[in-house]
Amino acid sequence: MRRFLSAVIVLMFAMTSNALAEAPGRPKENVEADASTRQVAITSSFTGTEILVFGTVENSVQPSPEAGTYDIIVVVEGQPAPAVVREKSRVAGIWINTTSMQFAVVPSYYAIASTRPIDEIADKAFLDTHQIGFDHIRMEPSGAGEADTDAIETFRQALIRLKEQQRVYVKRDFGVTFIGRSLFRSTIALPPNVPVGPLTARVYLLKEGKLLGQYESRVSLRREGIERFIHNFAISQPLAYGLTTVVLAAAAGLAAAFAFRKPA
Amino acid sequence: MTLYLPIAEMSVSVIAFLALGATVGFLSGLFGVGGGFLLAPLLTFLGIPPGVAVATSTSHVAASSVSGAMTQYRRGNVDIKLASVMLAGGIAGSYVGVAFVKMLTARGLFELTVSLTYVIFLGVVGTIILIEGINSSRKTRTAGSASVRKPGQHGWMEHLPFKMRFPRSKLYISAVPPVVIGMFVGFISAIMGIGGGFVMIPAMIYLLRVPTVLVIGTSLFQIVFVSATATVLHAVENKSVDIVLATILILGGVFGAQFGTMAGEKIRGEHLRVLLGALILLVAARMAVDLAIKPGDLFSLASTPGAS
Repeated sequence: MRRFLSAVIVLMFAMTSNALAEAPGRPKENVEADASTRQVAITSSFTGTEILVFGTVENSVQPSPEAGTYDIIVVVEGQPAPAVVREKSRVAGIWINTTSMQFAVVPSYYAIASTRPIDEIADKAFLDTHQIGFDHIRMEPSGAGEADTDAIETFRQALIRLKEQQRVYVKRDFGVTFIGRSLFRSTIALPPNVPVGPLTARVYLLKEGKLLGQYESRVSLRREGIERFIHNFAISQPLAYGLTTVVLAAAAGLAAAFAFRKPA
Repeated sequence: MTLYLPIAEMSVSVIAFLALGATVGFLSGLFGVGGGFLLAPLLTFLGIPPGVAVATSTSHVAASSVSGAMTQYRRGNVDIKLASVMLAGGIAGSYVGVAFVKMLTARGLFELTVSLTYVIFLGVVGTIILIEGINSSRKTRTAGSASVRKPGQHGWMEHLPFKMRFPRSKLYISAVPPVVIGMFVGFISAIMGIGGGFVMIPAMIYLLRVPTVLVIGTSLFQIVFVSATATVLHAVENKSVDIVLATILILGGVFGAQFGTMAGEKIRGEHLRVLLGALILLVAARMAVDLAIKPGDLFSLASTPGAS
């Protein structure tokens, strides 16, 4: 499960540092960002990867990288998908899935990195609005109207915990670092089991709890080469795919029997 | 070296799974069984989603039984007519089984059903094989064991309709029992990812009273087709067959099986049966324990293989 950093070239834009930036009427700060890789290819050798999200604060007044004038939050999100969480309980001595809850849409992948813990950066209302942080993602159970809020919360927490265990929900409280007065970077880990589909990278720039700017970019995550071919084959022509597997199995079995046949 | 599995959607070590295929192949060659009953639980244990584990293991069964079936066929130990009648039931049974898997998966009961069927079947069969193996190794010197076959003593089965003549087996019996046996084997084969030889062989010997020399060949012959059908149906209905995983396992398996067969010729039959019975019981016990022990996490996320 080794992860390797995909080859990355960070283009640093020459920053015009304005000595008079702090004067009244100075230009407003904003954020520009991008991901190092616009396309992540899942090939047969895919063992997970990392993408680098980097950007700059325009018109930064931050005196040094460590000053902490600005807060940056990076959220990388996968495709929304329904999720079913099940709970086991003991029935006649064995453990059986007895209750379950289906959430209509939850992010299949969710990585968050920030300059410091998000609840120090902004208030709950802001985090809820922008769905920043596991606890602020909107997760509505589908169908069950009578489910009480306690149960919903329990299942919701279980969902988050399980997704974290699968490493498809990732949080790094100090995962964004400034490497200059305005330049920042963050690495986001994509595990080998990352759900395939386009990713959205969102970057928020905040100062004292106020949003100064945000930026969004997309990263495509798709199967390439033989992986793509096999997956498409299995999904679009399942009959031919199944028959191919059988032919392969039979051929291998017969070939081995022939190769090892006793000299009669 | 690792490979990304297109259907299981995970990255696995090729060496580990080649070794797994070879080990299961060796044991199946050694004992003359399909080995599916070991493969599917081991795959799940190594993190392959249960649906993919069962579906992919059926393709491994097809590969490991085809060479045996071929050999038996060449020796004339296959009753094609009887096998075809059983196969008709087998295909219907595996179709129902695959649909059942789909239904259980949607309700979150698949893993439980697989575990329960394993515990029940392996527990019963393992015990029978073990006892029988121990008994026969005790009285191994007092030879002259009477033939199991007592022609003309089918009891209630005499009265069933659709009587057919099976010249190769020298049987004149109703087509209903072979069809039902085939159906049942096809059904459990699809659910458990196994060939079902350990159910079919005793059924053929004790219920149908097929001559012993024809039992193995006929059963293998039918397992090839039932497991092939189950593989195709799993691919179509559940999209859970991983061809890359199957290839790795089969490559390891076919070689392991050959060495297993060679090793098997050096060990006495009764001892083999004791070992096999113990192994089967071990798997059953392991799964029973998993069912009874409180899981570390009561919650689980439904896995939907092949979806996206």
